[in-house]
Amino acid sequence: MTDSIRILSIEDEADIRKFLRATLGANDMTVLEAETGREGLRLATSQTPDVILLDLGLPDMDGMEIIRHLREWTTTPIIVLSARGQERDKIEALELGADDYLTKPFAAGELIARIKVALRHASRPKGDAPFVYDYDGLTIDSAARRVRLDGEDVRLTPIEYRLLTVLARNSGKVLTYASLLKQVWDRHSPDNQTYLRIHTQHLREKLKDDALNPRFIVTEPGIGYRLNP
Amino acid sequence: MSPDTRPDPDKLLALVNHDGGEGVPRRGRLKVFFGASAGVGKTYAMLNEARARLRDGIDVVSGVIEHHGRRETQALMEGIPVLPMLEIDHRGIRLTEFDLDGALARRPGLILVDEFAHTNAPGSRHPKRWQDVEELLDNGIDVYTTLNVQHLESANDQVARLTGVWVSETVPDTIFEAADDIALVDIPSDELLKRLADGKVYVAEGANTRAAENFFKKSNLLALREMALRRTAERVDAQSDELSAAMGQNEAQLGHKIMLLIGPDPLSTRLIRHAKRMAARGRAPWFAVYLQSDRHEMLNEKSRARVEQYLRLAENLGAQVVRLSGAQPARDILTYARQNGFTRIMVGHRRTKWWLKPFRTAFAQQLIENSDGIEIAVINGDAAPDSVTENVVSSIRPFIARPIDYGLAFAAVALATLAGLPFRDNTPSDNLTMLYLTAVVIVAARLGLGPSVVASILSVPAFNFFFAEPYYTFNFYDSYYYITFVFMLVTSLVVGSLTARLSRHARQVSERERETQILYGLTRALSAVRGVDRICEVAISHLSAPYNLAVSLFVDAPEGLRSVPKSAEPEDMKEMSAVRWVAANTQMAGRDTDTLPSASGLYLPLQAENETLGVMGLTPNASGRRFTGSEILQFETFASLVAGALQRARRSDEAERSKIDSENERLRNVLLSSLSHDLRTPLTVMNGSVSLLLKMRKELPRKAMDELTALWGQLIRLQKFVGNLLNMAAITSGKMTLNFQPYMIQEIIGAALSQVQSTKENRQLRTQIVGNLPMVQIDGGLVEQVFVNLLENAFQHTASDGEIVIAAERDADRLRIRISDNGAGLKAGDEARIFEQFQTAQTLSSDRAGGTGLGLAICRGIVQAHGGMIYARNNSDKTGASFIFTLPIVPDLPKETP
Repeated sequence: MTDSIRILSIEDEADIRKFLRATLGANDMTVLEAETGREGLRLATSQTPDVILLDLGLPDMDGMEIIRHLREWTTTPIIVLSARGQERDKIEALELGADDYLTKPFAAGELIARIKVALRHASRPKGDAPFVYDYDGLTIDSAARRVRLDGEDVRLTPIEYRLLTVLARNSGKVLTYASLLKQVWDRHSPDNQTYLRIHTQHLREKLKDDALNPRFIVTEPGIGYRLNP
Repeated sequence: MSPDTRPDPDKLLALVNHDGGEGVPRRGRLKVFFGASAGVGKTYAMLNEARARLRDGIDVVSGVIEHHGRRETQALMEGIPVLPMLEIDHRGIRLTEFDLDGALARRPGLILVDEFAHTNAPGSRHPKRWQDVEELLDNGIDVYTTLNVQHLESANDQVARLTGVWVSETVPDTIFEAADDIALVDIPSDELLKRLADGKVYVAEGANTRAAENFFKKSNLLALREMALRRTAERVDAQSDELSAAMGQNEAQLGHKIMLLIGPDPLSTRLIRHAKRMAARGRAPWFAVYLQSDRHEMLNEKSRARVEQYLRLAENLGAQVVRLSGAQPARDILTYARQNGFTRIMVGHRRTKWWLKPFRTAFAQQLIENSDGIEIAVINGDAAPDSVTENVVSSIRPFIARPIDYGLAFAAVALATLAGLPFRDNTPSDNLTMLYLTAVVIVAARLGLGPSVVASILSVPAFNFFFAEPYYTFNFYDSYYYITFVFMLVTSLVVGSLTARLSRHARQVSERERETQILYGLTRALSAVRGVDRICEVAISHLSAPYNLAVSLFVDAPEGLRSVPKSAEPEDMKEMSAVRWVAANTQMAGRDTDTLPSASGLYLPLQAENETLGVMGLTPNASGRRFTGSEILQFETFASLVAGALQRARRSDEAERSKIDSENERLRNVLLSSLSHDLRTPLTVMNGSVSLLLKMRKELPRKAMDELTALWGQLIRLQKFVGNLLNMAAITSGKMTLNFQPYMIQEIIGAALSQVQSTKENRQLRTQIVGNLPMVQIDGGLVEQVFVNLLENAFQHTASDGEIVIAAERDADRLRIRISDNGAGLKAGDEARIFEQFQTAQTLSSDRAGGTGLGLAICRGIVQAHGGMIYARNNSDKTGASFIFTLPIVPDLPKETP
């Protein structure tokens, strides 16, 4: 069973743990269970799981605190489980380094899909290393600084290009507005999100993408942007 | 224009529309049709104008019209709705009276109330009709009325002197002057006389024809006409002054401030009218001052009542009433006058009797001698017959005592005699005079001045008869006794009168002491108790016994006036209507006041800091008792004390309530967050398990799969319901905080569309974006929720292959979004109701909303929190409904920077 995917679930509700066990087990994943934050941190260190599922409402520790601790030493994908309406918590978790979030209640299929995205993301090269993105007719070759849509070159301004590559490096993952601003504009980041909206809008136009029915850039209202898949 | 003379816009505005400002209902406008005498055609003019108003579309009602059977008048009344008169049964006589409550209930725009000065039938709410009119005006109803000059308070005595006819029905000048409009109805005197001769003028039935003849003499009519014209002119003057004051000119050019000294002397009435005319001519403020000196204590009830009556008269004529107390009248009044900037003091004066001249300086004289700078106007009173008797009564007042007291004085002398008899033979008779002196002192202390004088005078012959030899005769041998008798008489008179005065002072002091004690006791007791009911109990127990009154309190409560104790609620409708009147008008009413004087209780408003907290009722246990002015003043003090305590109680109640409210709020939030957690956990588990089972399509029998699919559908519904419930709770508790960010509305629509993919079935979703839409500043997550809810609502009411259009366009500074479906549409009247909480297909006439009944309420909450509006209507082509909402556009887009 060493090559099966190992998931650490940090969750205080026994019923949800049971459901996670059943769902993940049915998809050939091994589940490590922690009832408390402390136990979870211990297991994360000793067992090095492939993905961590973290409930934000733990009795002993603040979920944000756990993310901060984990991110001090590991890049293991963290998927946060939270209740609906807690947009601020989601943003905070994402900005602290969580990879994705799931809103309770969620369906089994959705959970599996998110775990797969997280695993794929984890296997991709980190940092500024060159990458290639290819999805639904859009190809990005970062080494050649080239963007093609349906076989034709797309001409982007430097900011649009940076915006697209940041999204592509993290494709499938939601990037909060704040983190986008920081990564695209670096330390000159404007504090006004209107700029981000305008550039995203221009980028969408050049990619022939429609916000009403997005093909590439998806808006997560209140959270941020995500590039498909 | 210098800043000082610039018109004060507020003052001008106040002149134009006498309104109390926002929230205060408009006071009605009063128009007086004013004439010199009966027969000039006031009622006729009033009706003519009322008809014109009626044609203007104003709701005119005739309250009282005295047509006196004149045909022209009756013809004019046709077409004006009539308010039925109230029938009052007064000691078996049926009287008809203006129905004030009927008028207030009917609330016309304008009401006609003839004969302003009319005196109401006994038992009416107000003694005078002008008071009824005041109440109508206070309630925002315009009034037309008629008035003859002779019925004006200040013209009253002039008219009486002129015509010899005394009119008891008068209207205070202040009321007349406060009228918004005065229309002078004038015909030449000759014409009036002709009308009189033709029998066109109504002369009161039963009136003395001779008196009427006297009244309608040409000379009188000329004089009355002149008076009416002059009064109208004066008013126009006053109005232009008001206007020029508002325009920034000097208010009172003459700068006079007049003080009128009032006493129990009937001369005061004339003084008051005189002062009023003087003040009006100089447009000066005037004050009626009554000095409550030692002499006040010596006045009888009748005089005191008269003082109160004069003060009220002065107040009615526009004076401000001041009561001063002091031991040295002239000095105290001058000090007060100097401190308050009075320029003129008016005082009445009667000739001092010749035999008193060496002993006393007239009060006016004292004022004049010390006035320096202040003008003293002395009005000489001729000795009217009634005032002479009054003076006599006033000076013998100290001698008035009960007959029994004189009997007791006699008994005291007899007792002194009996006590002396055993010592007659072995004691020098001079010493025995001491016995009589003792008796006189005791009588003086106990029974007052009169009986002590009687005792003094009786003592001398008694001593002579019993103790001066020869005994039992009024003769005496020793001429030395002459001296004894004279000294005995003088000594006992002096000692007696001194003692009597001393004990009277002592009594006054103890009376004041008692008052202070009650006040102190009440204050202390009130500060010690909490709660409205306890405060009322304390007030009742502290005031009932000392004043021999039945005290009842009516406390303002949410459900209306609540009487404390419960049993105190009067069965008599008259008492209760007095209570209500006092509460509504915050003025005292009832016994010994001007309003509802026939009520058996006196009712005072409990008012603190402009807040009416209730009414205090005082009903004397002895039915014939009258409240004096000073007693009423004391009661007012008590009422304000009780009101203060009630207000404190109310404040602390409110604080308590808000504490409970915030505690409830906290509890609710705790409940909500635990609810949200506790509901979501099992839902997540169920959701997960069912979704897992649904994947085992191959292993499970087909029937189980069908059941699972149904269960899945219900689970999704339940999840939505819980989500909506929590959203609604957040909105209604005001706990929803908006995270405003700029968005293109298309992004939000796109996100919402992807959310409803699984539930839209075969429905066609089309979007129409008109032109280039600007960004909106919104909370993206919440607005997405609005779209999702509206779309799901549309799904519920369209066929599974229906068509739904989402359209967005710019409308000035807003974005207008419309979601239309081609379903059944809304039933009439549901357009607004569907946005209320928990309105579902069951409670609504149309099959709209459906589901939990929260979705649309949430939409409204979110849209309103964004400063937008939301509404629903049926499509113009009668196919389906449209839900429309607006969102504010980001005001100005910052310039793009590289």
